[in-house]
Amino acid sequence: MPRLARLFIKTGLIYFLAALILALASEVNGIQFPGLVPLFWHLLMVGWITQIIFGVSMWMFPGRNREEGFRAQKWGWLTFIMLNAGLLLRAVAEPLNYLSQNPAWNVLIALSAITQAGAALTYIIEIWPRIQSKEQQRRQRKKKRQQARKNTGRGK
Amino acid sequence: MPTPSRWMIKASLIYLFAGFLMGAFILVSKAYPGLSPAWTLLPLHIEVSIFGWIIQLTMGTAYWILPRYLESGSRGNPLKAKIMVALLNTGILVNSASYLDIVPSSATLVGRSLEVGAVILFIALHWNRAVSYNT
Repeated sequence: MPRLARLFIKTGLIYFLAALILALASEVNGIQFPGLVPLFWHLLMVGWITQIIFGVSMWMFPGRNREEGFRAQKWGWLTFIMLNAGLLLRAVAEPLNYLSQNPAWNVLIALSAITQAGAALTYIIEIWPRIQSKEQQRRQRKKKRQQARKNTGRGK
Repeated sequence: MPTPSRWMIKASLIYLFAGFLMGAFILVSKAYPGLSPAWTLLPLHIEVSIFGWIIQLTMGTAYWILPRYLESGSRGNPLKAKIMVALLNTGILVNSASYLDIVPSSATLVGRSLEVGAVILFIALHWNRAVSYNT
């Protein structure tokens, strides 16, 4: 399994646990803070479900770049960074925004919204070209082979 | 990847972006109350993110990835699969139009019925594909 997929899945598992602990704490100890319910739902649906979908699809969908590293998989890495930065910013800034009227929280909330929407966009940029029929995959592989042969020829 | 799966996965990506954009707008409105009309998008945000993105992607991927029939090597009747895609997406769009007050709110009954139709077809297409090769 590629490093990025492992990272998505393991981070997703942590959000899964965090979301359920949040739900449990609010039930057992009566811990309540403003924004708890939307935070719980977003940790669960974005932090866990969406994150695991992103990770597994980047790994399992056809046409994966097998080269590791940020440069080779830049859209995937940008998706991971923006999705998680956005979620963490939200987890901190949304409850704090209810407690104190510091304009910094407003900026962080806006930043959280922008980075999460950005993560959706970079994920689409990565995965859209990989949604292919068998015939399209065959043609792409052939094109790549021809390109590689051409490059080798130039190298000689 | 078969055609109905490609349609469903591509549609789900469009819904993902739409859902996240609406969510971002709603989130920003918490910081800047002048944008509070964004809250009218909440039911649409939920419909698009749950049915359009998560459920549709899951259905499209399952149609592609579950074992095919051993004898024919097919995934079942492709027409049924295409009708399933049409029903699910029409249902989502009817519900969305209702949440945006383009059609009466009672239209969600039609939208949900179309989604139920899609799920019935999904079950019919996949029930016999969830098998063990050991039997």
